[in-house]
Amino acid sequence: MNQAQVTKLVSKLRINVAAEPRRLRSPKGPEGRLNKLRKTVTGLIKYERIELNYNRGDEARQYAERLISEAITHGDCHKPTMEIADYWLLEKELVHKLFKVLVPRYENCNTAYTRMYKAPRPQYSRNTEKAVLELRGNPYPPLVNKQHNNRHLIQNILLDAAKYDYRQAKYAEMAD
Amino acid sequence: MKLPISQLSQFIIRQSNKKAFLSIRCLSTQEATERRHHLFTLEKKRQLELVGRIEKIEVKYKGLPQECTLVMNKDISTPYDCAKHLGEWHMESSALALLDSSVHWDMHRPLSESCTLEFQTFNIAEPQQVNKAFWRTCSLVLGACASVAFKDNVTVKLHSFPGPDIRSGSFIYDVDLPTLPDWQPTQQELHTLSAEYVKLTRRNDLIERLEVGEALALEMFSDNEHKTKQIPDIAKANGKVTLYRVGNHVDISKGPLISSTGQIGKVTVSSVHKLLGSSESDVKQLYRFQGVALPTGAILNHFAFSILTDRAKKLVRLYKLLL
Repeated sequence: MNQAQVTKLVSKLRINVAAEPRRLRSPKGPEGRLNKLRKTVTGLIKYERIELNYNRGDEARQYAERLISEAITHGDCHKPTMEIADYWLLEKELVHKLFKVLVPRYENCNTAYTRMYKAPRPQYSRNTEKAVLELRGNPYPPLVNKQHNNRHLIQNILLDAAKYDYRQAKYAEMAD
Repeated sequence: MKLPISQLSQFIIRQSNKKAFLSIRCLSTQEATERRHHLFTLEKKRQLELVGRIEKIEVKYKGLPQECTLVMNKDISTPYDCAKHLGEWHMESSALALLDSSVHWDMHRPLSESCTLEFQTFNIAEPQQVNKAFWRTCSLVLGACASVAFKDNVTVKLHSFPGPDIRSGSFIYDVDLPTLPDWQPTQQELHTLSAEYVKLTRRNDLIERLEVGEALALEMFSDNEHKTKQIPDIAKANGKVTLYRVGNHVDISKGPLISSTGQIGKVTVSSVHKLLGSSESDVKQLYRFQGVALPTGAILNHFAFSILTDRAKKLVRLYKLLL
């Protein structure tokens, strides 16, 4: 009964994590798989938006989320966290970026730290799905145009005017 | 048919400064359209030849994918030509060009000096001007639709369309049909009109702009007494009339308009109402064609769109009556 709850020990990620890790094929076995993912996580932290195969992107995303959440909870004075950061980030200047730039950016964030989109597949290619993986709050222009709620859009103006008309008609009915 | 018209038009163009003579002849609507189209082509060619030695201007493009400087031809290159350098997406989606962050410019109007250039699509943050241009274009194309939709024995004389008012719920074209004194369009006829409209949008015609002198404008619209009355008022400011051509339909509009008819997506011609002129005006009666449209790519549920079409069936009364 004195056992600690596992959910309290491990930071809960805000993305869906598959029950089993994906096996990314590599001649070096599990170590080769981790090396691949380290490269991807490093690239993600460095460039903030990368395009890659869906499988590898989805797998690396989980590690990147975990790394950032560890950094946020423990800060840069915590030795095990620092070791994790040192392991996952192949370029050491990115360790500074993680603690000095990304931690302040995501401290008060209540969503996932990364975002993943399905990318168009090149024609006549092998059947590999592509994805775009990015850190939230990156400096690039947004990939999707979310303007549906912009009230100056022509469809919204028209609907707004129709609503106004309907209301006026109802008020007139009530007054009679 | 072709030869006398070309001779006549060249004569008119040569004498465009002098007073044009107005000849009365009986052309069918289609012949008159062809004639205007022909005169428009000639005048456009003449204006292009007037440019003479080609000078270069620098256009600084701002926006995606990156800022760049394009060296273009003065008075020949249009924002659409700049878009061609940037990619197909820009050509298809840009509706208006914004010069020096202040002037809204047609996509097919030649640039006359060095400037900065931005492209505006329908889903930018501040699309008011683009919407107005869209609504204006819809009205103009509705005129084109009305003039092709009827049989040859029905004379169609376009009167005018008011400035864009999107909140009114429908775009308008006032048309004079002298041979149809009592026409109540059936639902089937409205469907046919809408289908004609869709045909025009599917053709994906570029909307060309041309400024012509008053005399030539009068000659072009000599078969249409409403337009010939309006032209002197329009030309009062600087002696020029701005014409737009969609396919082979030429009409007067202040502009600016959007880039092509392919940018008009969902569209319905919702109603045709009869308007009676006041006693002192010389126009006895007009038909007000109304419709509602959305840009290509605008996402709207079909139920919501049906609300808009139902609303567009009501007659829109203008505060400033044209009649």
